[in-house]
Amino acid sequence: MRSDPASRLALRIVRAVAVLVPAAARADWLREWEAELQHRSARLQRRSGPTWRTKMDLASRALGSLPDAAWIRRQFTADADAVHDAQYAFRLLVKAPGFTFVTLLVFATGIGAATAIVSVADVLFMRPLAVSEPDRVMTVWQYNRETGRGRLDVAPANAIDWVTRARSFVAAATADPFTFNLNFAGREPDYLTAARVSEQFFTVLGTRALHGRTFLPEEYRRGGGRVVMLSHALWANRFGRDPSIVGTTVRLDAGERCRVVGVLPPGVELRLFHESSGASRPETAVWMPKQGLEEGEPSLRVGGFWNVVGRLRPGVPVDQAQAELDVISAQLAREYPQTNARIGAEVVPLRVHLVGTLRDVLPLLLVAAALLLIVACANVANLLLARGAGRGREFAVRQALGASRIRLMRQMLVESLLLAVAGGSVGLVLARWTLDVIARLRPADVALLDHIPIDARAALIASGVTIAAALIAGLTPSLQLSRPAAVQALREGRSGSRRGVRGALVVVEVAAALVLAVGAGLLVRSFMLIQRVDPGFSREDISVIQLFASTRMDTPAKRIVFYQQLLDRIGAVRGVVAAGAVTSMPFGEARVIVRGPLTIAGRPPAASAEDALAYTTAVSGEYFQTMGVPLLAGRLFDRTDTATSRDVALVSRRAAQQFWRGGDPLGSKVRFRFYGRAYDAEVVGVVGDVRHEALDRAAAAEVFIPYAQSGSTGLSFVARTPRGAPPILQALKEQVWAIDSLQSIYSTARLEQLISKTLVGQRFNLFVLGGFALATLLLAAAGVYGVMSFSTSQRAREFGVRVALGATRRDIVRLVLGDGLHLAGFGVVIGALIALPLMRLLRGLLFGVTVTDPATFVVVGFVLVVVAAAACYVPARRALRVTPAEVLRLD
Amino acid sequence: MRLTPATTLVLHALANGFSHGFDIVDVTQLPSGTVYPILRRLEGEGLVSASWEDHAIARGEQRPPRRYYELTEAGKGVLETALARHRVPRPIAARVRRLRPATSS
Repeated sequence: MRSDPASRLALRIVRAVAVLVPAAARADWLREWEAELQHRSARLQRRSGPTWRTKMDLASRALGSLPDAAWIRRQFTADADAVHDAQYAFRLLVKAPGFTFVTLLVFATGIGAATAIVSVADVLFMRPLAVSEPDRVMTVWQYNRETGRGRLDVAPANAIDWVTRARSFVAAATADPFTFNLNFAGREPDYLTAARVSEQFFTVLGTRALHGRTFLPEEYRRGGGRVVMLSHALWANRFGRDPSIVGTTVRLDAGERCRVVGVLPPGVELRLFHESSGASRPETAVWMPKQGLEEGEPSLRVGGFWNVVGRLRPGVPVDQAQAELDVISAQLAREYPQTNARIGAEVVPLRVHLVGTLRDVLPLLLVAAALLLIVACANVANLLLARGAGRGREFAVRQALGASRIRLMRQMLVESLLLAVAGGSVGLVLARWTLDVIARLRPADVALLDHIPIDARAALIASGVTIAAALIAGLTPSLQLSRPAAVQALREGRSGSRRGVRGALVVVEVAAALVLAVGAGLLVRSFMLIQRVDPGFSREDISVIQLFASTRMDTPAKRIVFYQQLLDRIGAVRGVVAAGAVTSMPFGEARVIVRGPLTIAGRPPAASAEDALAYTTAVSGEYFQTMGVPLLAGRLFDRTDTATSRDVALVSRRAAQQFWRGGDPLGSKVRFRFYGRAYDAEVVGVVGDVRHEALDRAAAAEVFIPYAQSGSTGLSFVARTPRGAPPILQALKEQVWAIDSLQSIYSTARLEQLISKTLVGQRFNLFVLGGFALATLLLAAAGVYGVMSFSTSQRAREFGVRVALGATRRDIVRLVLGDGLHLAGFGVVIGALIALPLMRLLRGLLFGVTVTDPATFVVVGFVLVVVAAAACYVPARRALRVTPAEVLRLD
Repeated sequence: MRLTPATTLVLHALANGFSHGFDIVDVTQLPSGTVYPILRRLEGEGLVSASWEDHAIARGEQRPPRRYYELTEAGKGVLETALARHRVPRPIAARVRRLRPATSS
């Protein structure tokens, strides 16, 4: 029963309240309250289980500890007035639950949302990294000058040249990734990412080992011994945080034993190896020294898969390093015009790199948080102003009975503070939830967001701003009460009109809500459009398993046999309609991306190196039939295309257009390289285009070869099941292990999941910004409702007179609605004027809609007006219930 | 000494053997935030004595010991005055009779 949330909440309330109790009495006080609550919750549990009613009962009893604590405090302190004020305020707030609830909600939303977003920004930009002087650490990427795409992994030869030529860095290094099977007795084989790093790598980071050491200079030489460093995560998850692992050897892949020389500290997250698609690999688990260059690396300038990091010389700004690398890329472009004409270099501070795709969204979210906070403040001010005005009579009476103005002001102050503190506390809980949701939804390439602590300064500032608004609004009515005005108030039962101010606040709220709602609307539209994009294959009912053959399958012939066996087994699984395999799985994580120059026999080479590039993909079995990729001309591969038959190829529609320019590719001979082998293949067919990386990225030219003529290591299998049948992921795994129990599996997924994963970024933006927009919209609606219901109650007499003089019910409703819609319409227009230039912030995030999409603006504006009308309608109805006789008798 | 209707209800409940804070809240149907300050005040004025429940009972029910309150002789005297001044509403009196603990004095 102690785990039941209602009793936990009750206990938490009492413990929080205990702070008020003087220290001398606190322990006993707390013991008594806890004992009562636990007894009570145990009894409720026994009797009926926790129902809504019993939970509320427990919480309200716990809240009773507040007056009790206040009473005790009063016995100990001289300042009886303050305690009395607090008690009085508390009672008043409890008596007006509607007002209290709305105000708390407004406080909580404003403070919670603003705190959450600023905390995210703070984590991303300020949190200490496990890197010394992180502001000097840079990542360097390739940049395509023609397409404008940046953050591309670097071709080995370019990386080597950058590192050796650049003078802006005290140290620079390369890292290149590879993957391996990790086998442990009693565990499913695991698949991990490793990186080979060049000599200066750990100098660049300035990172020391947590246990053991980093690599010695001689370990970077050829034949320097098989040594590794483990990431903190691998060490913690797989080696039980055992420091004595240092000095022992571990078996990383079949047959290869490596000596562990060190363990890295936590927080070395670098999000390396982007694979150009924005989706990143898992964090590097094992680090190895790069022992000399491999064959081909010093000349490989096409197809990037390395990373470059550098530490700036003291006093060298980022711009200067960027300028130097621009010069170096220009040199390389002159030296290697075929490959490097369009390749630039992009220097990105490590910290900025780690912000990933959130970089584009964060300013937007900060704007959203600021707008929400403004709306919350306006709303709080509005609510308190309305309430203060409604209490003119109460204040007048108290003043007449001798209360000083200071005393009245103090009373209002205490009330506002009480609301603010309670609302702020709820807001912090809200911020915590929001941060947890953000951590769960974060895009894959954003580092450091696994756990986001609440930023105390942000919470303080957000609370401060809101409380200031509350105080200003709370004090205004008591300040206004000069004596003559008070007399007037006594007579009329109302204070002077503040409609102008409140109207202005409503306009501000509606305008801010419109800005956010338009932003969210644009994101929703582009998300809907992007999901409707045809990827070139049918995405339903396909299960995918991605593998890399272990190093024991060390020849193409062995792999071809192994994979053919596996394909046959998968095809025989119950429920599988069609099965095939592919080296570069569309939307897959374990894609083997090979892109190289393609030449056609009897035709001159393409004008530029870029135009001559095509992706090369090996396929096996009924890959195209399984995926539903159409055959446009010629034939597909079949069992007659074997390792010993003549080389054949299929080309995609895009490749046919790019290389044959309207001519017929069938029968042409094409030359290209794949995994170190030169192909001279005859084109036997043309197939439809397939998008590979993301739905919003067009398909590129692609050439297919039969897997039997390749034998590369990585392969993904696809299996189609009947419509609506459950996925067969486990069955697929079992087929693999039936052949080789030590073979690790990279991943299994439904094809739809793979596609959905590439939309994580869009979904994140949508949820967060959409959440903000919805919250603001609700706040604005509450604001309109508050103002309109207040002003209608103030004008009850006027309406009474109008009805007495012959106004119909419709006239009255029209009058109230007209007033409200006037304000809302004004807010919509102002909001639209603000939104038009502001939406440019969204440009990079949209797909298929413009930032000024008229449909979105119109729909959102209309929705806002409808919401405002609904918010006015309730007060309008209430105004109608008053009969003229009643109103006139009020005097 | 202020004898409000609420104070009267609390005294009445105590006299009928309701000795724990929440039990008094249950039977009088007053909010906990009203009952407790009254108990504290009565204790301060010597009309009520408070002590902790036996540990053995609490352990049997797997919770911390509760605090219990009893009318002192002076308290019983004040109850008379209070009842003379404020009537206990009939539904409350009925509740008190119905829920009265077995060991009431």
